[in-house]
Amino acid sequence: MSNLLTHLSPLAPDDSGACGVFYELGGITVICDAGGCAGNVCGFDEPRWHEKPSALFSAGLRDMDAILGRDALLIDKLTKITQQVPAEFTAIVGTPVPAVIATDYQALRRMAEKKTGLPCITVETDGTRGYDFGEMLSYSRLFRTFAKEQYQTKSGVLGVIGATPLNTGLTHADSIISALQKAGWDTVVCFGMDSGLDMIRRASECTEILAISPSGLKAAEYLQDTFGTPFSVGYPLLPAQITAQAEALSGKRILIVHQQFAANALRNIITNCAVTCGTWFMLDPRYAKEGDCRFRTEEDFRAAAMQADIVIADPMLRRAARGFSGEWIDFPHYAVSGSAKW
Amino acid sequence: MNQAYDITAAALAERGYENLPEELNSAKHMIYSSPATLDYNSPGAKGFGVKRAGLAIPGSVMLLVAPGCCGRNTALLNELGYSERFFYLMLDDTDIVTGRYLKKIPQACAELLEECETQPSAVVICITCVDALLGTDMERVCRSCEEKTGVATIPAYMYALTREKRLPPMALVRKSVYSLLKPQKRVPTACNLLGFFSALEDGCELYALLRSAGIRTIGEIGRCQTYADYEALSKANFNLVLNAETRHAAQDMQERLGIPYIELTRLYRLDKIRNQYRLLGQAIGAELDDHAYYEETYAKVTQFREKYGALRIAVGECLNADSFELALALTEYGFHVPEIYGTVGERNFVFIKKLAEISPDTRIYSNLSPTMLHYRRTCDLDAVIGNDAMYYHKGIAGIGFQEEEQPFGYRGVTLLFDKLAAALTEAE
Repeated sequence: MSNLLTHLSPLAPDDSGACGVFYELGGITVICDAGGCAGNVCGFDEPRWHEKPSALFSAGLRDMDAILGRDALLIDKLTKITQQVPAEFTAIVGTPVPAVIATDYQALRRMAEKKTGLPCITVETDGTRGYDFGEMLSYSRLFRTFAKEQYQTKSGVLGVIGATPLNTGLTHADSIISALQKAGWDTVVCFGMDSGLDMIRRASECTEILAISPSGLKAAEYLQDTFGTPFSVGYPLLPAQITAQAEALSGKRILIVHQQFAANALRNIITNCAVTCGTWFMLDPRYAKEGDCRFRTEEDFRAAAMQADIVIADPMLRRAARGFSGEWIDFPHYAVSGSAKW
Repeated sequence: MNQAYDITAAALAERGYENLPEELNSAKHMIYSSPATLDYNSPGAKGFGVKRAGLAIPGSVMLLVAPGCCGRNTALLNELGYSERFFYLMLDDTDIVTGRYLKKIPQACAELLEECETQPSAVVICITCVDALLGTDMERVCRSCEEKTGVATIPAYMYALTREKRLPPMALVRKSVYSLLKPQKRVPTACNLLGFFSALEDGCELYALLRSAGIRTIGEIGRCQTYADYEALSKANFNLVLNAETRHAAQDMQERLGIPYIELTRLYRLDKIRNQYRLLGQAIGAELDDHAYYEETYAKVTQFREKYGALRIAVGECLNADSFELALALTEYGFHVPEIYGTVGERNFVFIKKLAEISPDTRIYSNLSPTMLHYRRTCDLDAVIGNDAMYYHKGIAGIGFQEEEQPFGYRGVTLLFDKLAAALTEAE
């Protein structure tokens, strides 16, 4: 059965991805749930929760709120919070509950903006897709909402989209910034990580945008179309332990599993090997090579692993590679195992 | 307002339970998943949430039928050795709108059984808010699974949407885990302790007191190693319910198995513990001599009080106690409780009223209030109790007091003060 997981735990869902994008931007983020989804986000998928406080709340829906569609109550609660917690915007993130009752997010957004006087972003995630889908929606809506003004472009400024713990395992941007400064950039801005909403507003100042995950592509395309800011893709923070092991490989069939741009970056440093990249998340064909694949089932992954001599992937995935007898190199992905331990 | 909301015990008692401030009523505000209380706030996050509790039946496995987001944090339980016991039927967006997945569940059960090295004793199907809204008849689905696989199948309802209902998820899952027991000849010298998914702390005097009353077999699900151990629970002559959330399960056992039940409460006030044992003795027709336990514990509390003086202790709610009853006990023992972080309910409001009489200035906070984002300590403290209180007051001597071995009765009080003493000594 394609949607039965017998060896893996579920991967980071879309609502977690959406919340991660808004986390440091000074808004009030409301997960439209009964409490369990917020617990999953805060307690598992958001490592910053214990380091950097954020106004991230559960709507605390109860069965009759959902059955009767009490949107006004939700907006009343949101309005009350805006009086208790200073914020520059509000965001409402969807879960399975509003999906089942077909919540009208546009109406919610209009009601929220009218009552709170703050811009509101709604993200119609439903907990069934991958985290990158939620990130993509959030980044896209965020830049469309706040990056509207054309500022004078500054030279040597790189804007990074996709810097979230789920993509990188990082809770601070310093290692990304230093890696890119070594590559020649004067100033590096990681949108949403150690930077606030004002940097989103001033995104058009960037000389170039770097998307470090497919989830950042849509927003990067928006900035290119709107302000003419060019973008590229890449992943500048491969761990040294892994690159050292990868560079030493030769004459092997290798499967690399991560988010697409991280996997591609690792492939780029491997020579004299047949390398295939696979991902459980978005696979953009523009950045894929022949044979690259997206796994939809445990069996897909197992079949791909059996074709390889070496698998470079999150250690949690090893459970699903029954029968694989080759070499395994750990390449942790927070969105898979919830751990970034190298 | 850039500060955490609080109200004094006196002001709260004066308002009465029917007139709770909105900040203490979680239905009236957004919910803050405070880092201090994550295990409390998420039904499946840590400790015994619905998912882990559903696996209390020895040899059982769980199929979580839900969107991926509901099972994401289950990976935490892998560290506790549950990785071979969890399976997931992931729902997509069409599934959650149409409910078409219900027909796939029996086949999913059959496939997961093929993955198990030994046949499980039972399959527990855990469902979530989606099914709460769709009104799924999971009993019927479980029957279909049983027909297909031949393995007992029961539901576990992880309905966060119904957390404040008469039968919240943790009450329903307690009923589920005892639902596979079958009627059998009862043994007059056997009883069960219901209420927790782990066992009472080994040194608890309740074991000795029951033995003194002629009880030879004391069953607890937390001590069942095999399915046969579990099945033997239905031989009990009576059940002792130690946690009110198990009342519904006990009622079900009374109806189905003919096992009556007696309800006790976990308390930290010595006179109330003594009174409760006296009533228990009357109920089972035996005199329970708890004199020595009372005296020993009384001496322990007195010595602690003499050694450390009138400590100022903050009490949280992530602990093995009712926050307000514990705060009341500490106050009666001569300590000060400047702050409590707890959830006010109808059941514990009686303690707040009593607390208001002897410690009217005690400030009560709700961990769930969004204003707790601004919480900063504004009082002097010597010690804290509860994992949430420890989070708020890093650097102050404290104990989580939330171990899996459950404290109860006099032994609970002894453990509390022993651990507090150890923490204070370490801090010195």
